[in-house]
Amino acid sequence: MATTAATRAAGGAAKAVKPIFSRDVDEAKRRARELYRAWYREVPNTVCIYQLDITTQQGREKLREMFNKNKHVTDPRVVDMLVIKGKMELQETINVWKQKTHIMRYFHESETPRPTDFLSKFYTGHDP
Amino acid sequence: MFLSRTARAALSCTAQQVRSLHQSAVCAGAGGIFVHRDTPDNNPDTPFEFTPENLKRVEAIINNYPVGHKAGATIPVLDVAQRQHGWLPISAMNKVAEVLEIPPMRVYEVATFYTMFMRKPVGKYHIQICTTTPCMLCDSDSILEAIQKKLGIKVGESTPDKLFTLSEVECLGACVNAPMVQINDNYYEDLLPADIEQIIDELKAGKVPPPGPRNGRFSCEPKGELTSLTEPPPGPGFGVRPDL
Amino acid sequence: AAYSVMLRLPAVSRALVGVSQSKSCLAPSSSVRLSIRASSNLVEVFVDGKPVMVEPGTTVLQACEKVGAQIPRFCYHDRLSVAGNCRMCLVEIERAPKPVAACAMPVMKGWNILTNSEKTRKAREGVMEFLLSNHPLDCPICDQGGECDLQDQSLMFGADRSRFTEGKRAVEDKNIGPLIKTIMTRCIQCTRCVRFASEIAGVEDLGTTGRGNDMQIGTYVEKMFMSELSGNVIDICPVGALTSKPYAFTSRPWETRKTESVDVLDAMGSNIVVSTRGGEVMRILPRLNEDVNEEWISDKTRFAYDGLKRQRLTQPMVKSASGDLVTTSWEDALTRVAGVLQGAHGSDVAAIAGGLADAEALMALKDLLNKLNSDTLCTEEVFPMTGAGTDLRSNYLLNSRITGIEECDLLLLIGTNPRYEAPLFNARIRKSWLHNELQVALVGHQVDLSYSYNHLGDSTQVLQDIAAGTHPYCQVLAMAKRPVVVVGSATLQRSDGAAIMKAVSTIAQNARTSSGVEDGWKVLNVLHRVASQVAALDLGYKPGVEAIRNNCPKVVFLLGADAGCITRQDLPKETFIIYQGHHGDVGAPMADVILPGAAYTEKKATYVNTEGRAQQTRVAVSPPGLAREDWKIIRAISELAGVSLPYDSTDEVRHRLAEVAPNLVRYDDVEEANYFRQANELSQTVNQALLADPLIPPQLSVKDFYMTDSISRASQTMAKCVKAVTEGAQAVEEPAIC
Repeated sequence: MATTAATRAAGGAAKAVKPIFSRDVDEAKRRARELYRAWYREVPNTVCIYQLDITTQQGREKLREMFNKNKHVTDPRVVDMLVIKGKMELQETINVWKQKTHIMRYFHESETPRPTDFLSKFYTGHDP
Repeated sequence: MFLSRTARAALSCTAQQVRSLHQSAVCAGAGGIFVHRDTPDNNPDTPFEFTPENLKRVEAIINNYPVGHKAGATIPVLDVAQRQHGWLPISAMNKVAEVLEIPPMRVYEVATFYTMFMRKPVGKYHIQICTTTPCMLCDSDSILEAIQKKLGIKVGESTPDKLFTLSEVECLGACVNAPMVQINDNYYEDLLPADIEQIIDELKAGKVPPPGPRNGRFSCEPKGELTSLTEPPPGPGFGVRPDL
Repeated sequence: AAYSVMLRLPAVSRALVGVSQSKSCLAPSSSVRLSIRASSNLVEVFVDGKPVMVEPGTTVLQACEKVGAQIPRFCYHDRLSVAGNCRMCLVEIERAPKPVAACAMPVMKGWNILTNSEKTRKAREGVMEFLLSNHPLDCPICDQGGECDLQDQSLMFGADRSRFTEGKRAVEDKNIGPLIKTIMTRCIQCTRCVRFASEIAGVEDLGTTGRGNDMQIGTYVEKMFMSELSGNVIDICPVGALTSKPYAFTSRPWETRKTESVDVLDAMGSNIVVSTRGGEVMRILPRLNEDVNEEWISDKTRFAYDGLKRQRLTQPMVKSASGDLVTTSWEDALTRVAGVLQGAHGSDVAAIAGGLADAEALMALKDLLNKLNSDTLCTEEVFPMTGAGTDLRSNYLLNSRITGIEECDLLLLIGTNPRYEAPLFNARIRKSWLHNELQVALVGHQVDLSYSYNHLGDSTQVLQDIAAGTHPYCQVLAMAKRPVVVVGSATLQRSDGAAIMKAVSTIAQNARTSSGVEDGWKVLNVLHRVASQVAALDLGYKPGVEAIRNNCPKVVFLLGADAGCITRQDLPKETFIIYQGHHGDVGAPMADVILPGAAYTEKKATYVNTEGRAQQTRVAVSPPGLAREDWKIIRAISELAGVSLPYDSTDEVRHRLAEVAPNLVRYDDVEEANYFRQANELSQTVNQALLADPLIPPQLSVKDFYMTDSISRASQTMAKCVKAVTEGAQAVEEPAIC
């Protein structure tokens, strides 16, 4: 079992890996663009349905930021996977399976940075 | 007594689901429950001290046991204490523990186990009437009734003058002379209601009637004449095959 | 006659014959094995056909346990004598006519023990039915529910129905004190408690009264079960007859989280399990450690846990202008402390460590003060410093170890009452006294130790006479093969402590010489009373607060110092007192700043017991409020004071501990100490006269035992115990529950 896995891994370097959806980078890019558009159109609805205290503009900026965070990715398999995750998020948002706090988590507004030095850890709590 | 017993049986038949707190005769006779509660005449301050002659007896008893095994003398020493005081107040048990150099709890264990150790006050004459089957068949109930009528007390009670205590006990091993009562150390056997009344009268008068059967028997021999083994015993060779 | 029996029982006897034949077929192979081990004098028995070699005299139950076959039992307990009265351990022996009680029957060569045969199972089922016939079915309201032997074993070995339709026996409950709740109707008369009381605790208060169906366990007279080990009967009771009063109706075993920890309320370091639920300590149970506490713990260890929830310091406090202590934030409190420490250097700063301080905090405090150029670090407990003092470790340890008591043949106790200073140590002495013919002698106040001893008197003159060899007891001492001398730490608190230590050291050295015991045997022992002392001395703390009284420092740091050995009056008015600890007890009220620390259930910390055995506590619950682990507070102060200590985590502190005293981080191990002769030689240089005062340890009777430290002083249960032993068990009001 282990040996077959090893040979497969070794062989994988030589021949093309099995794609998830996209056969090449261009197709993956197309899928990412489609996801971006879908989200872009959904932002006003989301702001309205969830009664978010942000403007559509701010939401779209966050959307762009989230996509830009992964712009270095070139492997079509990774892009596909990210797109799948993005679609899941989108579906959850559209169907209101999420709640307001879940959406606002994209904006990290309630998060405070974790203390790093001893003294601030000490002030924060027992065992941060 | 017999009536009440049948009544109880009938009751338990009709209402079997009624919870009954079981109380054995042991419990009723020797001193009630198996915990001690201080009462005016039975508390750790109840005066008890071995008399000089009893102390000598105790010493003699203890000397029967090897060194370091004084605890073995618990039962006889308790008996000496009971004979001296009539019954065993808690102070007597503590004294016995002190004499034997064992924890008082070890004495309590022994005293509560044996039904002949009285942990409640008893009268000068402790009448123990046997009502187990052979005696009951020989009409011990009539004897019991006679005693109760004579003394005006029920089972487990003492007369106000502290002379008699009546308790009902299981077989005392004198079935051949049933019905019988034990008064202190004496067995009075083959009783009729009139006999027991006479015995009680004599005891009241301060005399101790002679123990033994009341119907003319000397001991446990058959009443009248022998009913079996009347012929002379057969000689050797009896019942043996003639050709041998 | 034998033939006629066989005729009457043809099937059975034929079966028996068959078995014996098959057995004889087996014999050759086993006899080969026997012949190999013949010299070792073992006998071979079979458990369900599996051969096992055991010592002659082993019981059937022990032989089965050796193979791993568990036999159900109620009355049998490893550490108690065999009673054999519950009959639950009945097993079938092949070719034996009746099932035998495994706990009481010694094995015979070649027996085949059948632990799961039809006959065995039927016997168990029958016994279980009898036991349950008088046992109430109140498991839902019984505190033993979930950890009940009867419950578990009736599930495993009992029948699913009963034929008993009569009324059940009822027994009156007893009031045997504020610790143990009795529901005597549940009792199955296994007599484990009776045997524990008379064998281990040495208090013959419990017994069986009455007979037959009316037999009951109790004290007969109204009486408390007055023992410092009484709580252990709760653990050994296989049913819910004896349960814990403070724990009654609070939680179930499956709801609690168990944390393995160590007790710090005496210097024994008993191993414990802390049961917690939702951030609250529900109860404390013993943990098995053969070398320390076996499976017992003292009542203080077990029941003082409610003191962890009362009188706690939960917020930092500072003294306001009006002289009141007001709560504040950590920033504020720490800044003040740091400011004061920055202003004072060298000998202006002093620290006192109390009895519950852990090694990590002691280390951090020492490092902090050393960085401030001060070395005035003291412990509350005094130890004579002249002679070898604390320079030689052997001088302040219980060198023989607790288990060493079981090997010695003569024990001389000096100025100590081990029964209340270290109950488990006393239990060991009693065990050895009972089983190994140990001779005990005591110099000091005459106390009830639960075993007989030779009382030599309580004056220091006796000590001097023994040291000089003029006392008649010296002849006994000279006869001893393995002598042990134990001196109580309380005695060394006296102003003539050094002279006492000199005398004790001489006695020990003489006893060693006369006994001719091998070099590894330790004679001299010190029995400490507080958990922190050995670690503090190992880390280089100075025992006693004399130095602080004489120096009048500007800043005094009290690390849980609650023994009251220094008071505000001892110090100049302007002295700044910092108190760090977990209870508002004796030390906190006189402080200018209070820093709330963590108690032993709330921190991962190292404690060293009186033998020098390093053990660690673990975090069972988090510290209440703003309280923090002790070493962290000191570390935070150091940073603010500009002398940062170089460790940020527990592991790093322990690394530092290992640098200073490597034995402190070798957990569960005892670092041996030596140089007794040198210590004795150094002690000869002591030129101090013994005082005439008699040697009286501070804890004389059981009422002095319960409240000795800040945790047990805050405990209501312990207060109830004191009340009960002084005014009687009836004086304690119990909540009317059930």
